[in-house]
Amino acid sequence: MHWFKTFLGAALALTLFGACGAQAGQVRLGFDVSHPMLLAGHKQTTYLKIGLTGLALASERERAPVNVAIVLDRSGSMSGMKIRRAKEAAIMAIDRLGPDDIVSVVAYDQNINVLVPATKVTDKQYIFNAINRLHPGGMTALFGGVSKGAQETRKFLVRNQVNRVILLSDGLANVGPSSPDALAALGASLIKEGISVTTIGLGLGYNEDLMVKLARASDGNHAFVEGPEQLARIFNYEFGDILSVVANDVNVVISCSPGVRPVRVLGRDADIVGQTITARLNQIYGRQEKYILLEVEVDGSPAGQTRPLASVSVDYTDMAAKHKAHIEARKSVIFTGSAKLVKDNTNSKVMIAAVEQVANETNKRALALRDQGNIHEARQVLLGNERYLNDNAVKYRSSRLKNFGKANRADSDNLSPERWDRQRKQMRKKQYEFDSQQAW
Amino acid sequence: MRCGYTLKPKLIIILLLLVMVPLGLLTWLGSRLIASQRVAVERSFLALQQAKLADVETTISKVLARREQRLVKLGGSLSLTAEAMRETVRSEPWIRQVFLLDRDGKLLHPSPAGPLSMAERTFINRAGQIFDDRDVFLRPAGERPGERPAQADHGWYTWYWRSGLNILLWQRLGNGAILGFELDRFRLIADIISELPDTRSPASLEARLTLTDSRDRVLYQWGDYNPGENEAPATSLALAAPLKPWHLAIYTGGVSPSGVFDSGTQFFLILGLCALGLALLGLAIYFYRESSRELRDAGQRVSFVNHVSHELKTPLTNIRMYAELLQEHLGGEDQRASRHLEVVVSESQRLSRLIDNVLTFSRHQRGTLKLRKLPGVVDEIIGRLLEQSARALSEKNIEFDFERGAPRRVLLDEDVLRQIINNLLTNVEKYAPGGRLTIRTSQAENRTRITVADSGPGVPASCKERVFEPFFRLGSAVSEGAAGTGIGLSIARDLARLHGGDLELVPSDSGAVFEMTLVTETESQDESADCRR
Repeated sequence: MHWFKTFLGAALALTLFGACGAQAGQVRLGFDVSHPMLLAGHKQTTYLKIGLTGLALASERERAPVNVAIVLDRSGSMSGMKIRRAKEAAIMAIDRLGPDDIVSVVAYDQNINVLVPATKVTDKQYIFNAINRLHPGGMTALFGGVSKGAQETRKFLVRNQVNRVILLSDGLANVGPSSPDALAALGASLIKEGISVTTIGLGLGYNEDLMVKLARASDGNHAFVEGPEQLARIFNYEFGDILSVVANDVNVVISCSPGVRPVRVLGRDADIVGQTITARLNQIYGRQEKYILLEVEVDGSPAGQTRPLASVSVDYTDMAAKHKAHIEARKSVIFTGSAKLVKDNTNSKVMIAAVEQVANETNKRALALRDQGNIHEARQVLLGNERYLNDNAVKYRSSRLKNFGKANRADSDNLSPERWDRQRKQMRKKQYEFDSQQAW
Repeated sequence: MRCGYTLKPKLIIILLLLVMVPLGLLTWLGSRLIASQRVAVERSFLALQQAKLADVETTISKVLARREQRLVKLGGSLSLTAEAMRETVRSEPWIRQVFLLDRDGKLLHPSPAGPLSMAERTFINRAGQIFDDRDVFLRPAGERPGERPAQADHGWYTWYWRSGLNILLWQRLGNGAILGFELDRFRLIADIISELPDTRSPASLEARLTLTDSRDRVLYQWGDYNPGENEAPATSLALAAPLKPWHLAIYTGGVSPSGVFDSGTQFFLILGLCALGLALLGLAIYFYRESSRELRDAGQRVSFVNHVSHELKTPLTNIRMYAELLQEHLGGEDQRASRHLEVVVSESQRLSRLIDNVLTFSRHQRGTLKLRKLPGVVDEIIGRLLEQSARALSEKNIEFDFERGAPRRVLLDEDVLRQIINNLLTNVEKYAPGGRLTIRTSQAENRTRITVADSGPGVPASCKERVFEPFFRLGSAVSEGAAGTGIGLSIARDLARLHGGDLELVPSDSGAVFEMTLVTETESQDESADCRR
């Protein structure tokens, strides 16, 4: 009898509320809940994962045109190998673009110099020559550089293309607005126009908080490049991403049903107003999943009752079809008296993502503690995080979580002052990778 | 001493003055011109910089004006639901927050009572203070005292929160409600930066322009000039409202870009002065050479005359000697012959005096004049002289008085004294015929004073000194009919000075009065006085 009930419940859950997928055009929406069955009579926390996966482009020719501004730091600290490799990397990356693409190159020290105003990539040699003429020397007017870079992309701002500023910096911004919040505000404003800023920090001298915040606010990528020889690879990754964009201007609205209280969105910035959660992604890359993980509190209900959880609606621009697309999905939960059923029906994929995001938040807390000089406590938090990840790795049979646990242990070993510079950049980079599901 | 050779340095000085004075004057005028031009250039440079800043200010004002226009239009068409306002915040790049106040100033959106996003909560925190300050934009336009009933249905409002300036545009809606858009400050900065020039290389602008916020932090800068640490800007300008606390400044390092022009003028001025200086110098050299050639010619002439005089002196002495011997032989037998002889003697004496003068003059010029002091009585010497000259004087109808006052036996060079007195007498003969001549002598201690006064036309005060210059002749009125070498007075003075005294023309009511002093030690004094010069 009991097993039958279990079976029936599982079958019901599968048919009614099982893996819910919706697709229109180039983006597949996956709307999953960590616990499709909840224990009756209790207020419980559960996670909703709204995953957006870009489908692979049929061919390179289908890709959307890109509009890229490369903003290069040419402050005095960039001299030598750094500027040489940066030039090479930029030239190599631009070489991948075609005549429908638009590129601009801006260099900044204490002043801004628009080396190549936004132009179609038809005369590559002209662009390369302009880049090669670059000489380093001076201070770091990062804000101005990004402003001018954004302005160059704005000259050819079309929604059906990938609008992006790629910022390379190896130093602290010291001319113009220079706080991480100032750059975050600028990034938040740029994403409204469909411009993302990818930030590449080179060496150990840059402000990783500023670079991460700018990328995060504008939904760009972020990279920590320790040595200039890695620049080419990173530019390659970045251009790999932007040449694979299948959708942009992605607006996600999640409406929680009554009795479901949204607590927080893990990793990403989202607006929570009452029962409505709004989040914006600037683009979806092909063959990559971006997700929004929402933690909710669900009021208790009697066993056997079904409660609508939330509906999600996604609007985006399909780059291939060049039109607006819309996908919707809804989700409910069933209440049961059986703890086993709750456990057996737990969606391990969602849970792994949730554990990852929670552990990532813990990792950020450890970093904050270390910032206060509290090395010991930070270490304890990281080691606790490792245990948490290991426990869940076993529970959900996830090597991903296991590896993340190992990474936390490694972090805990590198908190000493002499390693902290590098370590902090590494951690901020990793954290952002989890926040934004960056592929590299 | 007024010998011919001393003329040369004087001439050089005069010529140098001739060159330096106009050159100095022109340099001074030129530098004044340059200075005033520099002031003018600086003024126009400053005006230029101010105009540049004003241009930039206009650009920035335009950014805000466009925003204003855009936002007012947006406000007019915005549906006033919370969702629409939130969507506006999500989609409009420059809008940080939208709010709505009812006509009583109550905040309707984001409603403190309703569900709020994190951003809305911080907005209420940030902007809460301004909703209490209702005078700013909540009161209907025209109610403010002293303000004309303006059509102000919208406007900018700024306030400070924590570290920065916050800006919002408010708009009065038909029903009296206020709709407001808070601008994103950093987006505004970025938009202003977008409109401002970048810094091209090679340099397009030899100056640095900066836009600074209320705390003097640089928001943006451009231009290829790097000002020093504490360099003050050439000029600065506050932005117009609502960005009044922000400033534009321009740094040029004090070097005016039009300095090229400035130094160009300077260059040409200096070039002109050099050319003029060279011309004047050339002219001066020409004059100098001319005059030195004249001097050389004169020197040659003097030397010639000197030679001739020497050659003349011996035969003349013989003529005189034999004439006087003949006079003694005749002893008044033949009245006519002795009268003729008298003329011969007198004329040969005159000629001999003339030759003496010429020789003295040339000796003086060569600096070889020497005194030969011997005991003698001044009055006796002068008395003899007057006797000898009596005939010549009477021929010119000159009566003379001799008031003797120097009877002591003193050391003197009789030849010198004679020559001086002779020259003075000759002078009287020439210029004051038909008058009265008074010679007065006096002696005190080591000095003998001799005054020679005539009743002729005298010497104008302006020529008081110049009559002693060699070859100087008074104007035609006085010297008419008078012939001479023109060196008599000059020699007389030089000799008097050589004798430790002087010869001067003293002022008088009528006629010319020459006063001569001579150092005349008494005979008993040391013989070494002979050697004194």
